[in-house]
Amino acid sequence: MGRGGARDGAAAAPPWHSLPDEVLEHAFSFLPAAADRGAAAAVCHGWLGAERRSRRRLAVANCYAAAPRDAVDRFPSVRAAEVKGKPHFADFGLVPPAWGAEAAPWVAAAADGWPLLEELSFKRMVVTDECLEMIASSFRNFQVLRLVSCEGFSTAGLAAITEGCRNLRELDLQENYIEDCSSHWLSYFPESFTSLETLNFSCLEGEVNFAVLERLVSRCRNLKTLKLNNAIPLDKVASLLRKAPQLVELGTGKFSAEYHSDLFAKLEAAFAGCKSLRRLSGAWDAVPDYLPAFYCVCEGLTSLNLSYATVRGPELIKFISRCKNLQQLWVMDLIEDHGLAVVAGSCSKLQELRVFPSDPFGAGQVLLTERGLVDVSASCPMLESVLYFCGQMTNEALITIAKNRPNFTCFRLCILEPRTPDYVTRESLDAGFSAIVESCKGLRRLSVSGLLTDLVFKSIGANGNCLEMLSIAFAGNSDLGLHYILSGCKTLKKLEIRDCPFGNKPLLANAAKLETMRSLWMSSCSLTLGACRQLAEKMPRLTVEIMNDPGRTCPVESLPDDSPVETLYVYRTIAGPRSDTPDYVQIV
Amino acid sequence: MELELGLAPPNDAGSCGKRRSAEAFGVKKPTLPLFLRDDDDDGDHGNGEDDTGDARDCEISMGNKRKRLVGWPPVKSAHRPRSNSHVKVKMEGVPIGRKVDLSRHASYHQLHHTLRLMFPSSTSHHGDPYAVTYEEGDGDWMLVGDVPWEDTVMSAKRLKILLV
Repeated sequence: MGRGGARDGAAAAPPWHSLPDEVLEHAFSFLPAAADRGAAAAVCHGWLGAERRSRRRLAVANCYAAAPRDAVDRFPSVRAAEVKGKPHFADFGLVPPAWGAEAAPWVAAAADGWPLLEELSFKRMVVTDECLEMIASSFRNFQVLRLVSCEGFSTAGLAAITEGCRNLRELDLQENYIEDCSSHWLSYFPESFTSLETLNFSCLEGEVNFAVLERLVSRCRNLKTLKLNNAIPLDKVASLLRKAPQLVELGTGKFSAEYHSDLFAKLEAAFAGCKSLRRLSGAWDAVPDYLPAFYCVCEGLTSLNLSYATVRGPELIKFISRCKNLQQLWVMDLIEDHGLAVVAGSCSKLQELRVFPSDPFGAGQVLLTERGLVDVSASCPMLESVLYFCGQMTNEALITIAKNRPNFTCFRLCILEPRTPDYVTRESLDAGFSAIVESCKGLRRLSVSGLLTDLVFKSIGANGNCLEMLSIAFAGNSDLGLHYILSGCKTLKKLEIRDCPFGNKPLLANAAKLETMRSLWMSSCSLTLGACRQLAEKMPRLTVEIMNDPGRTCPVESLPDDSPVETLYVYRTIAGPRSDTPDYVQIV
Repeated sequence: MELELGLAPPNDAGSCGKRRSAEAFGVKKPTLPLFLRDDDDDGDHGNGEDDTGDARDCEISMGNKRKRLVGWPPVKSAHRPRSNSHVKVKMEGVPIGRKVDLSRHASYHQLHHTLRLMFPSSTSHHGDPYAVTYEEGDGDWMLVGDVPWEDTVMSAKRLKILLV
């Protein structure tokens, strides 16, 4: 024995409430999911403190929900942060320029309070070159930069990143608008720099120095993801692949070239060397004759994104049918119903399907009908996520789909012409969408379209018990529709509505609901200013934003209560009203 | 009768239950009807800010084009047909021109807003009425607003803001 200060063994363990912080923090490190960490933090004051001090990842779903400084102060150990800005409908041009969502305050606060920050991700925000320069100079171990649907920066800002971030692993630029300053941003990676694992510049319009790119790719032996832009021609893709046969994900950039058999042979040989390739994408104005060059990688592919590819016909279908292990397929409606039937028969592991319209503004020829979706949902047992643009739909098809696939988590159907009824019965599509929500008990995201009455919303409100995001356009008859949604849908986080006859009453009757949600967007509905004022007064923790026609700037205080409101955007916040509104946005 | 550049449709209170934006915001001046209201049916609750609808008599000639609505169908601009949409903009009486990316604007309203930011009234004639014109492929100058917005984006080579 003789163990100095040891007490009797049985009494040694300290009670729960006095566990040292390090023990708590270590325990919490096994809770990666933010929801679990939030639950732990709510247990008691001690756990709240331990959790917030040890939080490593922070996701801010609405940049105006909290002030950047407060977020940084509250969670001082964050290593990875993601911030989202503009509302989703900004993707479709419904939010005019200069709306807000500047990344600068977040970058500044992070630079001050998170010197050890390693990852930063911005979505739908305005990121300036100054932001990028600040990122490059403020975080000595910065590793991952992801910008999705952002704007406000140029290749000069990218040069600051490539020059300054010595430990960069990922530079992922997805669908951003980047000003081309003809800066040789790629050349700023030092020759000694080898840590890159992901490089995605597919959204960049301009040229890059190919020799520099080739050298970069050669020396970064851990490069797993490479997504090129339109400026890189096909033969260059082949030589890059030879330098990086370890690639897991490739975006090919521009794929159109006249057929030359020697180029075909080069490509085929290059792809044959890529044994690890699992994900393929690219802006393919693809010449079908080149598709067979990819055949050797088809079997290994789990993800195929042809949503920018205008290739069609039997070559496309033959190509996809070889991808037996596909889990994710994004494609244009050029594939048509018969192409999807082949997909249904070949890709039994499919989990996610997105079909985009090749001619969104043309009126005419229905390229894709309900048949394609019915076939895929019948034959792909793991299909759980769908985005489908088509010309027509029936209740019968939707009911069949619902019966076949109760495991849907995301169902987004867009019938191109608003208010299109069931084309066989001419009835509304209430029955079809009701079947979807009744059957798919785990549905988290839903977009409805076609002719719909208030009744479908009754069904959605009653059955959408896991629904987090709902998008509605040109649907419903009356206030009742909105009331069903707001009084039901227990877990609703985001609701976006356009062109529906929903008015003030359901909004005011369900005001409290809005605080349980992240945000509500209503445009071209039947709202008036008075109701928005009432809502704002009743719910101080909501910001109620009104958008007028840009250029028509009457101060909202002077307008009468019955003035119609074109766009309403409401969100919960602990930061109070924002101070960076443009002249066409007013906070009531 | 004083004319000014207005974004409001012609006063037509009858056909749709909604009040016109112009009335609602207290502006009563008669406006140059640059945008023809889409007055199809009153089941169509309209698009508020969108004034780019074809007038009925234009629909026949539009032939194979779907009626244009702002932001519909919901496809991102990356998935839309692309054009080289950066065009030069010059304003009469202002020596330095600007450039604007038409494809990043979903409607005339948004373009007008951007132009107002680029050419604030303090740099030129205060609040004078003006018209925005664009040069087409064949060299003709057209008034912005006559054809659906998407068509303007595809065909405009440059813009000129003229004082009326």
